[in-house]
Amino acid sequence: MSVNNSEAVAASKPVLNDAVEARKPGVDYDAIDPVKTHKVAELKHTVPLTSCRVDPTGRFIVAGAEDLDIHVWDYESKTKRTLKGHTSWVRSFDFSADGNTLYSACWGGDIKAWNLLDTEPKSKLTIQAHQGSARWVRLSPDQTKLATCGNDLLVKLWDLENGKLLQSFAGHERHVYAVEFHPDGKHLVSQDLMGVIHVWDLHSGKKSRSIDASVMTGYDKKFAADMGGARDLQFSPDGSELATAGITNVVNSFAGVQDPIIMLFDWKTGQEKAKLKPDKTFQGIAWGVRYHPDGFLIGAGADRSGKGELWFRKPDESEFYHTMKLPAAARGLDLLNDARHLIVAHSHGAVHIYRMTEEEKQKQV
Amino acid sequence: MVSTGPSFYFLPESRDLMSLRSIPQLLTYSAILIAVYAAPVSAETTLHERIDAALGAGNPQFENQAVATADDATFLRRITLDLTGTIPTAEKVRAFVADTSADKRVDEIDRLLASPEYARRMQYVFDTMLMERHPDKHVPAKDWQKYLRESFLANRRWDDLVQEMLTVDGTDEKTRPAAKFLLDRELKAEQVTRDLGRLFLGRDLQCAQCHDHPNVNDYLQRHYHGLNAFLSRSYLFRDPKTKKTSIGEKAEGQVAFTSVFTKEEGKTAPRVLDLPEIPDPEIPEEPYRVKPAKNVRSIPVYSRRLQLADAITSTENQAFQNNIVNRLWALMMGRGLVEPLDMWHSDNPPTHPEVLELLSTALQEMDYDLKYLIRELALTDVYQRSSRNNSDLKSADKPDYRVGLLKPLSPEQLAWSMMQATGVTERTLAGLKAKKIKDDPKHGPQVTAEPLWQEEALHDALWRNVDSFTVTFGTVGAQSSRFDASANQALFLLNGPLIQSWLVPGGNNLTARLKKLESGPAVAEELYLAVLSRFPNESETRQVVEYLNSSQQETHKGIPELVWAALVSDEFRFNH
Amino acid sequence: MQRNQGCQQLDHRVARRQFLAGAAGGALAFSLSGSPAVAEQVNGQHKRILQVYLQGGVSQLESWDPKPGTEFGGPFRAIPTSVPGMHISELLPYTAQRMHHLSIVRSINLKTNDHTQGRLFMEKGRRAGEYPYVGSVASRYLAPAKAELPGYIHISTRGLNDSTAAFLGARHAQLKFLGVNPPKNLSLPKGLPPTAAERRMALRQQFNSQFQAGHGKAMTETFDASFQQAEKLMSRKTFFEKPPADKDLERYGKHDFGRNCLLARTLLENNATCVKVTHHGYDSHAENFNFHLEQLGEFDKTFSMLLDDLHERGMLESTLVMIYSEFGRTPKINVRYGRDHWGTAWSIALGGCGIQPGAIIGKTNEKGTAVAEREVDAGHLFHTYLQALGIDSTRDHEIAGRSVPIGDPAAQPIKELLA
Repeated sequence: MSVNNSEAVAASKPVLNDAVEARKPGVDYDAIDPVKTHKVAELKHTVPLTSCRVDPTGRFIVAGAEDLDIHVWDYESKTKRTLKGHTSWVRSFDFSADGNTLYSACWGGDIKAWNLLDTEPKSKLTIQAHQGSARWVRLSPDQTKLATCGNDLLVKLWDLENGKLLQSFAGHERHVYAVEFHPDGKHLVSQDLMGVIHVWDLHSGKKSRSIDASVMTGYDKKFAADMGGARDLQFSPDGSELATAGITNVVNSFAGVQDPIIMLFDWKTGQEKAKLKPDKTFQGIAWGVRYHPDGFLIGAGADRSGKGELWFRKPDESEFYHTMKLPAAARGLDLLNDARHLIVAHSHGAVHIYRMTEEEKQKQV
Repeated sequence: MVSTGPSFYFLPESRDLMSLRSIPQLLTYSAILIAVYAAPVSAETTLHERIDAALGAGNPQFENQAVATADDATFLRRITLDLTGTIPTAEKVRAFVADTSADKRVDEIDRLLASPEYARRMQYVFDTMLMERHPDKHVPAKDWQKYLRESFLANRRWDDLVQEMLTVDGTDEKTRPAAKFLLDRELKAEQVTRDLGRLFLGRDLQCAQCHDHPNVNDYLQRHYHGLNAFLSRSYLFRDPKTKKTSIGEKAEGQVAFTSVFTKEEGKTAPRVLDLPEIPDPEIPEEPYRVKPAKNVRSIPVYSRRLQLADAITSTENQAFQNNIVNRLWALMMGRGLVEPLDMWHSDNPPTHPEVLELLSTALQEMDYDLKYLIRELALTDVYQRSSRNNSDLKSADKPDYRVGLLKPLSPEQLAWSMMQATGVTERTLAGLKAKKIKDDPKHGPQVTAEPLWQEEALHDALWRNVDSFTVTFGTVGAQSSRFDASANQALFLLNGPLIQSWLVPGGNNLTARLKKLESGPAVAEELYLAVLSRFPNESETRQVVEYLNSSQQETHKGIPELVWAALVSDEFRFNH
Repeated sequence: MQRNQGCQQLDHRVARRQFLAGAAGGALAFSLSGSPAVAEQVNGQHKRILQVYLQGGVSQLESWDPKPGTEFGGPFRAIPTSVPGMHISELLPYTAQRMHHLSIVRSINLKTNDHTQGRLFMEKGRRAGEYPYVGSVASRYLAPAKAELPGYIHISTRGLNDSTAAFLGARHAQLKFLGVNPPKNLSLPKGLPPTAAERRMALRQQFNSQFQAGHGKAMTETFDASFQQAEKLMSRKTFFEKPPADKDLERYGKHDFGRNCLLARTLLENNATCVKVTHHGYDSHAENFNFHLEQLGEFDKTFSMLLDDLHERGMLESTLVMIYSEFGRTPKINVRYGRDHWGTAWSIALGGCGIQPGAIIGKTNEKGTAVAEREVDAGHLFHTYLQALGIDSTRDHEIAGRSVPIGDPAAQPIKELLA
């Protein structure tokens, strides 16, 4: 539990709850308690959102949408900028450690880099990374390389400086949905439609092993098609565990009848550590998973009805201990560096900011 | 009535009493009896005699040109198939041919009409006619089939049945099966309106939905919409508790239509063809007995739908009578007086209007008694005529009934006939009887002797076999009297495991019986009697003997192939 | 009542007058346009149909009518095709290079969003009623008298059982193949040696000759013809047993659709008249984009290989190629990333026999929410298919005293699409 880490940023005043009533005495409004999660702000766009990310310094919130643009909100001022240049929906983002550079991947197969310190950022680098969709982009821990994956069944490694291809990893037989660097900087993991997770050794350039997440796919007999894939992928901060979000138990995927699932794998052994599922009445897709610095796990998902949920799981438990209903489908999830705020990209066109502490009553404006 | 009244033939003493169940019917017969006595002019000519006379009318050579009456064996096969849906047993053929009594054909017709198999056959015929093998929607086929069968066991009148089918709303469990006609068509105009026209009035008004029929002068848009107006206020209601669907109705809604060709507009209240419109009564202040609301089946004070049954079955409505007699004629004779059965119009008149007139009148006089009509049809010369035409009688465009027509076996007839021929039926029945007697030694022997018990037990044991035939040989949707055959059907006959399994010698089945017979001619005789329901002629016997001589070394002496060939022969495929 | 668009009063009046004139001749009324006349029009080259049915409703926005960058455009881009100025979805890169063989109709409005109604309308050219499918009509009027194969074969991986022939009869009904598996009962019964099979057929002939001597032939010939067709199928069992060549599988794909299309090629090469291949899985109420990636990814290359092969074998001129569905998909993207049923403004592609290649008929508005130009429905398409094959769809089927217009008299062919 990195308590220190969360205390360090707790000091900074919550930004978005400006009209605060007098606080109740004896209540610690900074104490993190997922059960107390509540919405504190809404950042609106006009079309449904597809993804979101917040930079590591907590200044920029970015979202992709069912349009060709990237939507950037300033966390302090809530002002919005629009980044133009992609030719398709943006599905995945990553940030440089300093938070100044944004990397984006779109369904069209392109990767772009943007300097968010510019007033009107233009894409400063474009890599035509994949034939067909580029589904995911991640920056290496040493900040020198980009990893991407896509519908050409490849996982690729790029030199950040010049956009040159460094390595290409072949081995997936179906669309590759997500890729992530292990914190050790020596390995990449990638997961495909069929729940095949490959582990790639960056030194040898070869696949070192595979992890079986095949429960995260399903063949719909009636429609003769497969559905699956990682919809989010993240290592625990210490690198001991891998979390992947997606679906399982496909009943009728064409109507969205299947269960969301978050799976946890032990990094060393590749063994499954947990299969987390929301209440069985919630059918759809798990679109986001994050490790909280305090050790608990957060998930987000969309029900086929269009409603969403946030899920919280204490370490080593086999079930979520708290579920929070959301007004619209959650399609992306990220955690602010203050460890108290979550952002969720919603299908109704807004990013919601949720705070995981006791709610401070706001004055009616 | 006076001129066309029927005669003694169907007086109670000469008919099976089963069909005369109710007092009203007896009264009807008494009335006819009186009428007959009162009008002796026509008392000596029966309906079937008058039909035969009408067919030959205007052609003095008709009798000479017409082929001879079918021989006893052919007649027996034909009537057994038509009235009970299967071929006779070999034993029965032997007995019937040997029978020397003068009235044996009449007696056989009456015996078959009184059998429980007759009701089953009518169940198949009317199920196929009215539901056209569409898959179930709201009323399970087995309930509906039971309803039909029981109706025919009781010889319920046709107008009475149709009344019920078009009146019930599906809420009363007892009568719910009768609602299948409306419920399974989901009250969709393009289905239910069209089928009311086709199946009860003999008119396919489909093309008149959007404009007056382009090719048929008589089919007008207002006919379609007049029928539609009876049902346009009704809707399917699904009870949220029972999940059962029934019929609700609104108190308002008019039917208007515009021709897509002429743009002429029309409006109509409910009406059957050219009969007068049925105006709505004054709308009361409260038009509902049960008001429409969520999850409530609304019931209006005045129901247009409930006018439908009366209007269709009204004696004014000649189309209703013509339709059913034409369908019965087609069932027995192999071709409608009007063909296609649902294309009645002035440019497609009945081939024999006098015959139609005789039948329709008799139908009314006999109170819509279908069994009576079928019996009269079976007694005609034309029905009993041979289908074999050895002279060079050319088949005219217009059928003149000088030669009997081939009737393809329905899927059900084919299934039951094949099971009868191969001995599956007999063997199954023996097994069922033995089991029943073992289970219930006291009553078993008596119960299992009952024809009704036997028919039901056999049906319960063998319906799946019948089903595989209907799946392969049946057509979903409008039934045609034209014969058709597909490669899938032939493959079923050629290689399907079901028929093959019936050919494996076992117990007392046909191949086992044949295998035991010592002499070739004996095999030929038993084969022909069991499968083709007749004795073989000399050359046929010789061919069988020759075949057997050559096949002694084959598995089971080649007998399964011999039986198979007879089973899938042209002769077996048709009622001839 | 809403079907006024295609209705030409004058045509109808003429038809009715013609009929009245015929009616005056009494019994001749129904042979006004006898079916032999229809058959004569297509003498000569044996014309065929290849139907690729994208079951469930392919999205027009992800196929023939992309609208990238618009509100409902979805994530996929448009790509240029071999026809200058014609763009289709990037999900069809192989097909794009072959669009000079095909044309697109982008302005279909069926006014139904129901699978069954849409399918029946697209197949029968009529909104309701017992009419034959395009394939059964083709079987009836195009199949050579001594056809080696049944006229209408449908290769599908599951069983939607359609009643396709209506009054044309079982011979013209579709024969359903479950994938590359042979039809049921294609092998001789177990334990029946071929010699015994021959023996039993000879016996059957023996029984028949007795019966046929005294009876009219019409019905017995039909019955016997079904056995001949069955035997033809049995003798072509190798179509199903022989594994496709590796190099073909490599090109077509080893999936069911690839194998089914290879079988379709074999059948067309062997003079089948109408071969329909169903590709399942387009009813994407959820995850429309991932599913279209999967399904069209499979469709695109396989179909293109089949098209190439027909072209190379010189068969395209005599083969009408149809790629169609029961409807398209809603422009609006739902919360599940799905698109729903949409018969209001969608597209099909077609080409080959009798079809002007490289054409785009009609268009939808900017967001794809309505037809903007040249609205047509399945009635018009039905006439178009048949006229492309040389069948005069304005004439009547003459079936046992019933005279039924082949195409809906209220609709006409899309003339500018006919070569």
